Amino acid sequence: MTLSAPRPIIALRDVQKYYSDYHALRGITAEIQQGEFFSLLGPSGCGKTTLLRTIAGFEDVSSGTVHIDGKDMDGVPANVRPTNMVFQSYAIFPHLTVAENVGFGLRRAALSRTEKAAEVDAALKMVGLTGYGGRAAHALSGGQRQRVALARALILKPKVLLLDEPLSALDKKMREQMQIELRRLQRQVGITFILVTHDQEEALIMSDRIAVMFEGQIAQLASPQQLYRRPISRQVAEFIGVMNFLPVQVLGENGGRVQLNVAGLGACEITAEQCPSGVQIGAASVGLRPETLTVLFEGEVARGRELLGRVEEVQYFGDMTSYEVSLPDVARPVSISMRNLVGRQVLERGAPARVAWEEGALVLFC
Amino acid sequence: MMQSSLIGRVARSENLRGWAMVSPTALVAILLLAAPLGMIVAFSFMTDGYLEILPEFTLENYTKAWADPLFRQILFRSLYVSALVTAATVVLAFPIAYFVSFHVAPERKSLWLFLITIPFWTSYLIRVFLWKVILGYSGVINSGLMGLGLISEPLTFFNYSVSAIIVTLAHAYAPFAILPIFVALERIDRSLLEASRDLGEGHLRTFWRVTLPLSIAGVVSAVLIVFIPTVGDYVTPQLIGGGKIPLVANLIQNRMLDLDNKPAGSALAVSSMVIVAIISVAFLWANRRYLRVGR
Repeated sequence: MTLSAPRPIIALRDVQKYYSDYHALRGITAEIQQGEFFSLLGPSGCGKTTLLRTIAGFEDVSSGTVHIDGKDMDGVPANVRPTNMVFQSYAIFPHLTVAENVGFGLRRAALSRTEKAAEVDAALKMVGLTGYGGRAAHALSGGQRQRVALARALILKPKVLLLDEPLSALDKKMREQMQIELRRLQRQVGITFILVTHDQEEALIMSDRIAVMFEGQIAQLASPQQLYRRPISRQVAEFIGVMNFLPVQVLGENGGRVQLNVAGLGACEITAEQCPSGVQIGAASVGLRPETLTVLFEGEVARGRELLGRVEEVQYFGDMTSYEVSLPDVARPVSISMRNLVGRQVLERGAPARVAWEEGALVLFC
Repeated sequence: MMQSSLIGRVARSENLRGWAMVSPTALVAILLLAAPLGMIVAFSFMTDGYLEILPEFTLENYTKAWADPLFRQILFRSLYVSALVTAATVVLAFPIAYFVSFHVAPERKSLWLFLITIPFWTSYLIRVFLWKVILGYSGVINSGLMGLGLISEPLTFFNYSVSAIIVTLAHAYAPFAILPIFVALERIDRSLLEASRDLGEGHLRTFWRVTLPLSIAGVVSAVLIVFIPTVGDYVTPQLIGGGKIPLVANLIQNRMLDLDNKPAGSALAVSSMVIVAIISVAFLWANRRYLRVGR
């Protein structure tokens, strides 16, 4: 076994999907590695669920190939594929008990009745539902249904577990708890998870890698940090978190440094690494995350550069305060989020604000 | 003051409103269903006079009825015909309901249901007559086959037979079976079928383990909706059977009107009603107890 270039568990090559005249998937190419927690992130209608269903075998590809564990899945029906799915609605069989639901797919396995029962118990234990086996499926809460759906899929030890927005029906607390639990479970079983979600925070928290999808295409496939810090386009940057955009003139490029003149901020120089979409001389825009800007208080000294603005709007979140600050020569106020540290007062609307920023935080979009 | 608030409270009470809402229907039901039924039950325990019914309690009507081999034979035949009609109807209705629910585009479903109910546009009597035209001695089938030269003499086995009655009734009751099964199939969350496929089951096993158990309530309603009224069907055996194959309703009619023995007829009616009720309850119970398909 060689360490170099491990075979991807899933390889998608130029996957296209048409629904009559609607082009749902427009050439998806991606490789997903064994044991990875992979997310498909995008707004509704971007094709992420279609892609998941294509991997599961519920949709045929119009062209292109899907390989799972090295095998071409063309013509392989869903019931034969080495994948299992956690459905958005959980799809718990209402006429069966919890144990019968979890053991549903074990019929084919050559197991005795007691072995099956032991497997079901183990699966229930894994998802924290020990002792729930005899309950009627319809008497479960949302979170419990979710766990049953997980146990039912994982009991078959699939090569890939597909999760279609599994947390969207849960309330916030439960969702946060399940995010941690899903991640823990994934590490424990070592199975590749593919999660479909429209919630960027969820994708960032849980994934090893994320594919951001728009209109049937992957806009960017990267790690959460890379995606957040170096989004490849304004569209991706806007979808993941909040970003302030400022018009910019790209003046020149030499020796890995790029010279800019940013509206309101003035002349500055950034590294090529801060230009994920490349460099083109002329008008473009730069992005700045709200937390990379700082509102300075009396006596504080800027680490980078400083300019004077005015507070237009204040939103107090308890742990954080979000400001909208207008800067000279910048058309729209910029968002700045500040942690409410001890002793740091909250500025009022209309107050002057000294804003500090750093060149290293800029991202150029050409 | 107290009085008016009490009246106000009563008028506002949800219960009273509920009763007020159902009272017209309830009144009709009591007058046209419950009261005649009560009279039939009462008659069945009375003595038959020459021209009138004597209000003297007796069990003789029942003992006579059950001692009569003709009644037992005809009741048994009615149940047998009904059971076959039910089986035929439900077995044939299921694929139709399944087709409409699973293979017809959502916007076309109401059109299909509409088409299925078209037979109801003509009266039951006319539909029965139509089957008579088709199945009769010189009916469509016989004249067709003779015209084609396939047979030289009209076939008789389906003219005035139990099978002709079954065909006619099965056709007449088909929509009653299709609709409840369709409704049950419509309620099935389609992701459950995908889940079953995802968990390794093919189409047939998915049908057996998910679709059928989840639609069984519709099948049970279809069975009862078809079975109960067909036991008491009067028109079809009269017209299709040519009066030669009476079912229990024909016998009751004969006792009630031809022989003018209302107590005897009532006893037959009550007896068959009780038998049907017992069979239906037993069926429901058995279904709950044993027919847990797909486990």
